[in-house]
Amino acid sequence: MLFKVAWRNIWRNKMRSIVVISSVAVGLFAGMFLMAFFWGLAKQEVDIAVETQLSHIQIHNPAFPDDKGVNDTIQNSAVLAEQLKKDSAIKAVSARIVTTGMISSSTTAAGVEIHGIIPAEETTISSISSDITEGSYFSGKPNEIVIGKKLVEKLGVKLHSKIVLTFQSKSGDLTAGSFRIAGIFRSRNSGFDEITVFTNSNEMGQLLGTGSAVHEIAIMLKDGKKADTIKAFYKKEYPGLLVQTWSELSPEMAMLNGLFDQIMYIIIGIILLALMFGIINTMLMAVLERQREFGMLMAIGMNKPRVFIMVVLESFMLTCIGIPAGILLTLLSVHLLSKHGIDLSAFSQALSSFGFSNIIYPELQTSMFLPISLMTAFTAILSGIYPAIKALQFKPAEAIHKI
Amino acid sequence: MNNIIETHNLSKIYNPDTVPVNAVNGVDLHIEEGEFTALVGPSGSGKTTLLNLIGGLDYPTTGDVKIDGVDITKMSENKLIDFRLHNIGFVFQAYNLIPVLTAAENIEFVMMMLKKTKQERDLRVRELLAEVGLTDKSKNRPTELSGGQQQRVAVARALASKPRFILADEPTANLDSKSTANLLDIMAKLNIEDKMTFIFSTHDQRVIDKARRIVTLVDGKIVSDTKQ
Ligand SMILES: Nc1ncnc2c1ncn2[C@@H]1O[C@H](COP(=O)(O)OP(=O)(O)OP(=O)(O)O)[C@@H](O)[C@H]1O
Ligand SMILES: [Mg+2]
Repeated sequence: MLFKVAWRNIWRNKMRSIVVISSVAVGLFAGMFLMAFFWGLAKQEVDIAVETQLSHIQIHNPAFPDDKGVNDTIQNSAVLAEQLKKDSAIKAVSARIVTTGMISSSTTAAGVEIHGIIPAEETTISSISSDITEGSYFSGKPNEIVIGKKLVEKLGVKLHSKIVLTFQSKSGDLTAGSFRIAGIFRSRNSGFDEITVFTNSNEMGQLLGTGSAVHEIAIMLKDGKKADTIKAFYKKEYPGLLVQTWSELSPEMAMLNGLFDQIMYIIIGIILLALMFGIINTMLMAVLERQREFGMLMAIGMNKPRVFIMVVLESFMLTCIGIPAGILLTLLSVHLLSKHGIDLSAFSQALSSFGFSNIIYPELQTSMFLPISLMTAFTAILSGIYPAIKALQFKPAEAIHKI
Repeated sequence: MNNIIETHNLSKIYNPDTVPVNAVNGVDLHIEEGEFTALVGPSGSGKTTLLNLIGGLDYPTTGDVKIDGVDITKMSENKLIDFRLHNIGFVFQAYNLIPVLTAAENIEFVMMMLKKTKQERDLRVRELLAEVGLTDKSKNRPTELSGGQQQRVAVARALASKPRFILADEPTANLDSKSTANLLDIMAKLNIEDKMTFIFSTHDQRVIDKARRIVTLVDGKIVSDTKQ
């Protein structure tokens, strides 16, 4: 009965209630949409990093990450790669030679990370082959190199230009090799484009003197979410090797996701705080204009706990109607925008240099609905307390005779 | 006979520190079970104040109010609310009903607070609506009822808890003569058939004529107390 009375009381002043409900809905929508936007951003960023450089899991010689030594290769890498390819959870495997060196054109030079790859294998694991904007991704001719657009500009070279790579070989000597630019790529991460070059691994193996040994085995999984469990399995299987997931390889990226979460909850909290004042104001008006009615109710025997509960219930119901409306609004807009994305070309220069994409596809995490709904419901109850206390202060004898 | 209500030297002074008003001044009033009493007197004579004190809606400055021998002026506010719920029926001049509830629900509301079962409630609501002649209006909200009908629902609602007595402060003040007569007939019938005790204040001579006891107040004092 108290529920019924409270519910109907909400609709006594329809306009006023609709204003409160709408502001709750719009407030929640704003907060949740922002979350979806940033989650989309973060997820895309991870996807890009995984596709262009990280992949889901990487295997190294434990000594390799520290100084990227030429000698720190993976034992029996060919056998290992074949074994990995047989795992049904693994989509693709690429064995790479990775070393640092210097790239020089006729005019200038720059430091680079040289990836010696088997072109066909790398295609299955990274997006580089599809990011080629000029030329081709390894045509099969000898001494080909594929480099990023950004690096091309820096070196002042063109497609088919000749460049020289200088690096330290296995024996410690400085070695150089000349290559011809077969293709120029442009990934969504211009920082990556500036420092990464790709060559054939057999040619690099000869120049380095490492033969068929590789430094890195990159693994792409069928389901990226299983990275942790699959990593754990291979870590046990190959105790002598360093097996890492993308989040371990790039902890700052994994942290970014958590950071976005925290910022978003703070923003939601601020929105709810603002909404709280609106709800208190409305409920206070509703209580004060019903002073006589409260007087009558207390006169006929409605006790204080009941009066209190009724007012808080009104505040609670009023606010909670806005929750599904806000969720619906968020679902709808995210659904619409997840097809075409939000084009941020205006800011794209700045974004893409941080490794972000130009078009953001907002991404919903339905798991956020429950905590946000609970936060809102809590705010609603909190907002009802002050008006309820006000209602309790009415004295029946006085309230009834107020004209 | 048995006194339901006894007041002793009952006084209420409003604004004792600024402009003191002796609204009720040393009233000794005894009401027996089954009485049908009109409280009359000029405007400002203290009728409302006295009814509020008897009904436990306000505390006196001095004196006490005993209901079935229990001094209610010593009760805490919370205890008084509960006491009113169980023992006293109220009918006010206006704003008696919860506007968002129907006639039946308004009556049922009191019985919900008394924690009666659904079965008990339904039965009693039907009984009470029949007694005030509003069976066909059970699903109407107060705004869909005339003033007289609203007051009849208020009487039914006051009866819902089977109180010891009903206090009515100018229950007919806003009614036309036909509705006034109708309401008084219902109250008189409840008084005679069910022995329900009524105390009501009024300015209306036709209402005074129906009372069997007339208590007249002037300046907060009882100046006459007659039975007819
Ligand atoms: N809350 C209050 N504060 C101060 N004075 C009050 C208050 N309520 C009533 N009074 C005064 O007390 C006196 C008695 O008032 P009361 O309302 O009891 O008279 P009444 O007989 O009911 O009058 P009416 O016939 O006009 O309803 C009046 O002088 C009134 O002005
Ligand atoms: Mg009065």
